[in-house]
Order: sequence, then structure tokens, then C-alpha cells
Amino acid sequence: MELFLQQLANGLVIGSTYAVVAIGFALAFTVLRVINFAHPDIFMVGMFAGLAAAARWPALGLLVTLLAGAAGAGLVGFALERTVIAPLRGRDVLMTLIGTLGVAIVLQNGMALIVGPDPVAYPSLLPRRFIDLGPVALTVRQIANFAICLLLLALVSFYVRATSYGRATRAIAERPDVAAAFGVNVARICQITILLASMMAGIAAVSVGMLYGSASAFVGLLYGLKAFICMLVAGNRYFEGVMVVALAIGIMEALVTGYLSSSLRDAAAFFVLIGVLYFRPNGLFGSYNA
Amino acid sequence: MSELLRVTDLAVSYGSVPAVDGVSLAIEPGELRVILGANGAGKTTIIKTLFGLLRPRAGQIRFEGQIDLLGLKPHQIHRLGIAWVPEGRQLWNTLTVTDNLRLGGFAEADKALVGQRIGAMFERFPRLRERQDQIAGSLSGGEQQMVAIARALISAPRLLLMDEPSLGLAPLVVRDVFNLVREINKMGIAILMVEQNARQALKVANWAYLLDTGHIVESGPADEIGGKQSVQAVFLGGHA
Repeated sequence: MELFLQQLANGLVIGSTYAVVAIGFALAFTVLRVINFAHPDIFMVGMFAGLAAAARWPALGLLVTLLAGAAGAGLVGFALERTVIAPLRGRDVLMTLIGTLGVAIVLQNGMALIVGPDPVAYPSLLPRRFIDLGPVALTVRQIANFAICLLLLALVSFYVRATSYGRATRAIAERPDVAAAFGVNVARICQITILLASMMAGIAAVSVGMLYGSASAFVGLLYGLKAFICMLVAGNRYFEGVMVVALAIGIMEALVTGYLSSSLRDAAAFFVLIGVLYFRPNGLFGSYNA
Repeated sequence: MSELLRVTDLAVSYGSVPAVDGVSLAIEPGELRVILGANGAGKTTIIKTLFGLLRPRAGQIRFEGQIDLLGLKPHQIHRLGIAWVPEGRQLWNTLTVTDNLRLGGFAEADKALVGQRIGAMFERFPRLRERQDQIAGSLSGGEQQMVAIARALISAPRLLLMDEPSLGLAPLVVRDVFNLVREINKMGIAILMVEQNARQALKVANWAYLLDTGHIVESGPADEIGGKQSVQAVFLGGHA
């Protein structure tokens, strides 16, 4: 029982990171109708932007590092939208897909040129101390990661449900032509959406870099793959559905690690994906354009 | 010049297939004009082109005499005071009724005014007040048409483009919808409507165009058009 609860907590911590990255995928896919293969590497750029800020101004602490991560990732995401996604808008889906894949390759290898291909140490922004929470014990960093990601998810949920621009964002996701005909500047909302998705990813990247104490130019692949699976399993109709699935997949991985084997961990998410798509091809919560 | 909208020699193609060819029409403030035509005649194509959602191959579209709509994006066209009731309602089905109406007022900076107008719509359509927190996709066809019309009115438009408001509705509801169209027009809002239900549309309109495979074949005052042999044959059942 104790192992179960402990792995449940560990799973929620990592699942919350998957959720933030997955929401970024889902926003780009539903609003801009692009499978943004560069999103995981925007996450990675955010991680290194935070690292650079922490190395340059070590006294400034966690908050500034998170902001640097948001700024770095946001800048790359915004540039990607302007230079690759927007010019290819309205063309074949395959075009933007290949475009973002190209940017992903450039970002990964560009970063590997700068920092080297091997993982580098991430600054310890918070103490490595355990805190007892009843039957489970989590590190300060785990708790911080969970709190940061949960806050981001709550903000996204609030944005899309309770603000004028957020409602317009959902309106574009469902019917872009009608949204435009009711005064929504679709191009502007697309820019805001990518900026938001990228900044969130940058913050989550700094948080998870701190959690594991390392960063790598190729870190995006792991989180990107899991997040992409989360979006497919949930379907893109409800952003909250994507969040719930991401948390569940985090928990499932932790349980597989705890009870079976850590080598099965990464395969487990794929089994879930295959199973769900077999019975519900539009995802658990349904998809647009389906 | 008091004309609200003038379309001149409009031609629109899907690829190499012409959908609309050489269509000219106009509407003045406060008028209710109808474009009658069968499926595939090009009615929806005209509406979508007016809104900047399709690019025409040739022709001119002018609003209030001098504004060229062809140079504008859909959201800019909306801000001139043009609203749309799309074919088949096209609500945001995953959003609540209230959120659909709020989006109808997206371009209005004064959100308190939007709130007032939503309140006025709930006065006019008590059924929508009852269902304000339900998602629009869960409503009946007639209720959805009320939301679609209310959504278009929230921006207090000067010109309303209605695309087959009677499509897929029960006969009793169709009568309600046409009464509502007349009521909206009486408020001073000009309406350009496309319809297949010629009998009902000709009763409310003051001017009618007949569209056949992308061409306007007849046009004139609604009561005259209704009496023509060709119209009776094509649109009113053919037992003239």
C-alpha cells in the first residue's frame, strides 16, 4: 500500500509535466491545425534558457529562472509561428508537419553544437530535502514541480473558459470560418496560442530540469512523445481531458516502474495508445473534425 | 447614394468549376431581399464570398458605396456591421449558449453592452434563458436556430446575411423563423437571405432574385416574382 501511494505521488509529479507539454501540442493542433513537431524542442530551448539565466545571475533564484525559460521558449515559438507555420497556413497539413520537423532538427542539433551532445548539470534551485506527507515522502523539488505545472494547467483552463480571447480560441478550434465572421482575428489568436503554449513549455522545462538536475539537447524527444500520446489518447475536444489523461499516464508509468520493471515504463504508454485508438479512434473525450 | 451593399458581376470558382458567374445584386438599408435557388445554385457561395471566406475570380463588392469588401479579412468585414446566420446554424456546439452569444459580441469593446444585449435576447427567447448554461450542441434544431439568430444580433448589425434559416426545421418552427425574420427586419436591420423555401421567403421579402446554376435568371419585387410561370415551375412545385 505504501509503495502504491508513493508511486501514485511520483506519477502525479511527472504526469503534471506531461500535461503541460501535451496542452501545448493540443493548443497548436486544435487552433492552428498543425502537428507542431518543434514543440518538444521549444521545451528544450526553454530548459537551456533557464540554465543560462541561472548561470549568469545565480543569486536571482527560481522565479527568474522560470521566467527566463518562458522567455526563451516563447521567443522561439513565436518565431516559428511567424516564419514557418503562418506562411504555410492553408496548405497541405503535411507541409507544416515537415516544416516543424525541420525546425525541431535544427533546434536539437544547434543546441548540441552549443552545449555538446551529453547531458549537463542543471542548477539546484531548491534544496534536495524530503518532506513527509503522511504515507508518502516527496522532495521539495517534486512538490515545486507539481505545484508549478498544476498552476499552469489551471491558468490555461481559466483562460479558455472565462476570458474573451480564450473563448475565441475555442471558437476557432471548432469553427474557424464562423469565428472569423464574428470578428475574431484568427491570425492574432494563432500567434497568442503558440506563444502561450511555448511559454508554458519553457516554464515546465526549467521545473523538470531542476527536478532531475540535468539538461540535454535531446531531452525534448522523451517528453514530446509522451505528451503526443496523451493528446491522442484524450482526443483534442477538451483541453481538460488532455490534462487528466496526462496525469493518468504519469501515474501508470510510476506504477509500472514500481511493480513491474522500469524497462517496461516507456512501452506502457504505447500499449494504452494502441488499446484506446482501437476502441475509441477519436480519443477518450472525442475530437473535433471527427 | 443610400445603397448598403452592391455586388457587381461576381464570379467564383472552386478550382476550375464555376459556382457563381456574373451575379449582380444590391440591397438598401432596411430592405429584406431574398435569393431563391435550388441546391447547388450557388447561394452559399455568394454569402461566403461576401464575408471574405472565399476569393472571387472576378467582380466587385461594395459596402455603403465606397468600401471595397474584397480587400478585407472576414473579421474586418464583420466590424463594418455585417452579421451572419450560417447554413445549418453552425453553432459552437461544445460551448454553452451564453458563450455562443458572448462570441457574437466579440468585436464589441463594451462588454457591459454585450451583457445587456444578451439579456434582451433572453427576454425575447425565454427558452434560451432556460438553457443558457447548456452546451449548444444539446439543443433542438429550432432552439439552435434561435441561438444562431440571437448570436448574429448581439453585434447590432446593419446588414444580416441569412443562409437558409428554415433548413432542417419542423414546419411549425419554420413559420416561427420566418415571423422572426420579418420582426428583425421591422427593427430596421437590412436582411439578405438565401432560401429554398420560396413560398415562405416570398411572403416576407420585398425583392427577390432567382439563382439557377450560378446565374441570376429573374429579379424583381417579391409579389411579382411569385406570380411568374418559370418561378412556379422551378420552385413552387410546378402545378401552376
